Amino acid sequence: MEHFAEREMDSETKTEPMRVLVTGGSGLVGKAIEHMVKQEGGCLEGEQWTFLCSKEANLVDLQQTRAVFEKYRPTHVIHLAAKVGGLYLHMKENLNFLRDNLRINDNVLQTSHEMGVTKVVSCLSSCIFPDKTTYPIDESMIHNGPPHDSNFGYSHAKRMIDIQNRGYFEQHKHRYTAVIPTNVYGPYDNFNFENGHVLSALMHKTYAAKKEGTPLQVWGSGTPRRQFIYSLDVARLFLWVLREYDEIDPIILSVGEEEELTIKDAVEMIADALDFKGQIVFDTSKSDGQIKKTASNAKLRRYLPDFTFTPLSEGIKKTCDWFVNNYDIART
Amino acid sequence: MDFQTRAEPMRVLVTGGSGLVGKAIEHVVKQEGGCLKGEQWTFLYSKEANLVDLQQTRAVFEKYRPTHVIHLAAKVGGLYLHMKDNLHFLRDNLRINDNVLQTSHEMGVTKVVSCLSSCIFPDKTTYPIDESMIHNGPPHDSNFGYSHAKRMIDIQNRGYFAQHGRHYTAVIPTNVYGPYDNFNFENGHVLSALMHKTYAAKKEGTPLQVWGSGTPRRQFIYSLDVARLFLWVLREYDEIDPIILSVGEEEELTIKDAVEMIADALDFKGQIVFDTSKSDGQMKKTASNAKLRRYLPDFTFTPLSEGIKKTCDWFVHNYDIART
Repeated sequence: MEHFAEREMDSETKTEPMRVLVTGGSGLVGKAIEHMVKQEGGCLEGEQWTFLCSKEANLVDLQQTRAVFEKYRPTHVIHLAAKVGGLYLHMKENLNFLRDNLRINDNVLQTSHEMGVTKVVSCLSSCIFPDKTTYPIDESMIHNGPPHDSNFGYSHAKRMIDIQNRGYFEQHKHRYTAVIPTNVYGPYDNFNFENGHVLSALMHKTYAAKKEGTPLQVWGSGTPRRQFIYSLDVARLFLWVLREYDEIDPIILSVGEEEELTIKDAVEMIADALDFKGQIVFDTSKSDGQIKKTASNAKLRRYLPDFTFTPLSEGIKKTCDWFVNNYDIART
Repeated sequence: MDFQTRAEPMRVLVTGGSGLVGKAIEHVVKQEGGCLKGEQWTFLYSKEANLVDLQQTRAVFEKYRPTHVIHLAAKVGGLYLHMKDNLHFLRDNLRINDNVLQTSHEMGVTKVVSCLSSCIFPDKTTYPIDESMIHNGPPHDSNFGYSHAKRMIDIQNRGYFAQHGRHYTAVIPTNVYGPYDNFNFENGHVLSALMHKTYAAKKEGTPLQVWGSGTPRRQFIYSLDVARLFLWVLREYDEIDPIILSVGEEEELTIKDAVEMIADALDFKGQIVFDTSKSDGQMKKTASNAKLRRYLPDFTFTPLSEGIKKTCDWFVHNYDIART
């Protein structure tokens, strides 16, 4: 009730239908939002949704950013675009990840402000939280210590979005906010063995091992614990945040702490989904990364006590089926 | 065997050359033998180049072709201005710092020493504060924009070292005071504002109104000491991690004690009133100078009463040009 009244009084509420610009529209989350909008009724009557790819505009460049905003004149922005990469690339190029992402984010947020965009929802990441921390991690802890060393450039640039959002609210009353997903997986991910996210890389490895009749080599001990969230669930929640979530402070998008499971458990689900019956070998000479990153979804649950997450085995099956059927276009 | 060591003498560019610290470095360089033979020192003012603009930054670097940079320039202001304008303080300072550091890198500058500030440390913290604690929690709310932009310099320095082997570093002074400060009642640093108020109260025969209770504790460092230490950092300090420039913890004293020193220096004999309806700011910000002392165990700081006397004398003689 309260935020409905607030919205009535918000001088920035436009009666015109939303024109939404999604930067980073071709990525894992962007494609999921596109699916929701175009195929699951996520788009309301009269709304225009534009999914931007990097080919159309390089957002590191201010002029190109302005040009694309002038072309589409969005009232709302979902800002997913970032310079991203696998672990090894980050470790070699922390400065580039810092500078390019600071530039992209300043271009998008400042251009949004100058063009009167009502709301921007940016995308942070659970990897930006402090490396040394207590658990579970929650939204209030983002700035409580340095992030993990390996990708400090990327992490600090992402953290800065939260500071920028506070600045735009304090100084200009803009309701620019952010979400913090934990480990996302789904169709259109990066399935590369080295650079991909953990589940997508494992799906590709399992598919290859089955095809070639070799054992499945999993990097690490399999004991680290993660909370995985299906990309279509992230997309559904993103739409709720865009339309209903009024805070400037960010919100974690994750399954509950009780859904945390080991990499080994996830590997077994992938093997089931792809009907892989070969040997599974854990290469403990490879790094495990962080042993746990347990995040609290209490804030999300206070807002949406009844939201149903796609069960992990079902999401894994759907993603594996997509990967097998779309192997030729998948990013491998 | 650092391949970046040049046989040529240093050409040093000091951004923010007209400010409190810039003027002190200029004094040490030109009048205390701080400049070595063959060196060129350029003190840049904002009139000459607006460092928020990349083209102007590049133009001034191409003009002076520095081998070393002391980067002091920043968008700064008093408490009330920060509270109203945090976004501008964030964006302008991020832009200035990226322009200066990236242009330095592109033009092969050997070393950049930037200037952080003890106000950027976490608001909720244990004491004493040391260099390892910069990123351990959010800064004070009132100037979060400025603080985050300054903290980012430390991240940039790590990035330039990790990716390009550059030895870009930073210093973190505690409360600096001295000639050429901003003596404005509202926007000035605490000691300079108090010196101006005391001067005015003496002239007008009114009581001296001090904002706050006088109980907060601070470590004050004289600008010429900061300048001498800056030159040591430029020439000798090799770490990428920043270094605090401060007197020791035992030199911490209350605002009330400092007010009494100012009254002595200006021979003010009137009444001193503490207006406790005004904010005190942070009660303490005690910083450790242990790292500095490991490097320079014998460095002698100017005693506070002497530094205050010199600054008050400067202020009285230069009232017409002082920033009031």
